[in-house]
Amino acid sequence: MTDERLDRILASEETLIPSSGFTATVMDRIREEAAAPPPIPFPWKRVLPGVVVAGAGLVWGAVELTRLAMAAAHDSQSVTLPVWSSAMPSMESLGWVALALAVSATSWFVTRRFGGESGLL
Amino acid sequence: MPSPNASSAAEDLADVERVLAGEPAAFEGIVRRWQGPLVNMAWRYCRDRARAEEMAQEAFVRAWRNLAQWRRESSFSTWLFAVAANVFRNELKRIPAVSLPLDEIVEPASPASQSAEFELRSRHESVRRAVLALPMPYREPVLLFYFHEMDVGAAARTMGLPEGTVKARLSRARDLLRKRFPRLSEEYIAMESAASN
Repeated sequence: MTDERLDRILASEETLIPSSGFTATVMDRIREEAAAPPPIPFPWKRVLPGVVVAGAGLVWGAVELTRLAMAAAHDSQSVTLPVWSSAMPSMESLGWVALALAVSATSWFVTRRFGGESGLL
Repeated sequence: MPSPNASSAAEDLADVERVLAGEPAAFEGIVRRWQGPLVNMAWRYCRDRARAEEMAQEAFVRAWRNLAQWRRESSFSTWLFAVAANVFRNELKRIPAVSLPLDEIVEPASPASQSAEFELRSRHESVRRAVLALPMPYREPVLLFYFHEMDVGAAARTMGLPEGTVKARLSRARDLLRKRFPRLSEEYIAMESAASN
């Protein structure tokens, strides 16, 4: 089949006439859209402080982990303690766990409060 | 197919400005001017009349929602067709048009009982349906090239692709169609002359 022939077939497409109610149907939808209330904007002002705190926490955690890992690597070169003994929970680590739980609980409480105020929860 | 001419560009612009100024009813002028081209464009994508109207309707609603995003650098119709192509493409990804795989589409035989004209139409329809079976990257350039009355530039603008890419894809699409319909060229000439008599 030559390009010319193909062109002739594909260019000679029948033309559809839209049904009589087409414009009215589209305009009904447009009117519905126009009458709908605008979408609720995302509450950036409320969320932003949380995002900043969470980001700072993540960065701090990453720095701490790196520091601990480097210290552990350094220790393992000088002391040959079994790995599990260094992973035993100490009072200090329990304190961190308690702090993390407290932060989570506070964040849950704050979220509930804001959510309750805005009627989301 | 895109028919509203240069004089409609001013009307489009006026209607868009009225809509953006808070007069939704002004959108009706746009729908009236462009319903034909959009329904026909959708028809080429799916070859199903009812679905073509639904898809065109969705394209108008999408255009309405994003009207403020039309920058006056391109004509309103160029922007509208690009919005519509995006809607149609996504719609067909969601629910594909009913079509056979290209390998399963056979070139129609020429039974003696069929009149030459009927046979010719049947062949035309087979070729058009074969276009729907092409992979989307090749199918869309073909659909839009012929919709835009063989204007590569217009097809490229509707797809948001460089003209060179569209030309290359058109060429590949034609190769695929030629392989699928090898006998058409010779028999076609005879049938066309028979149909015209």
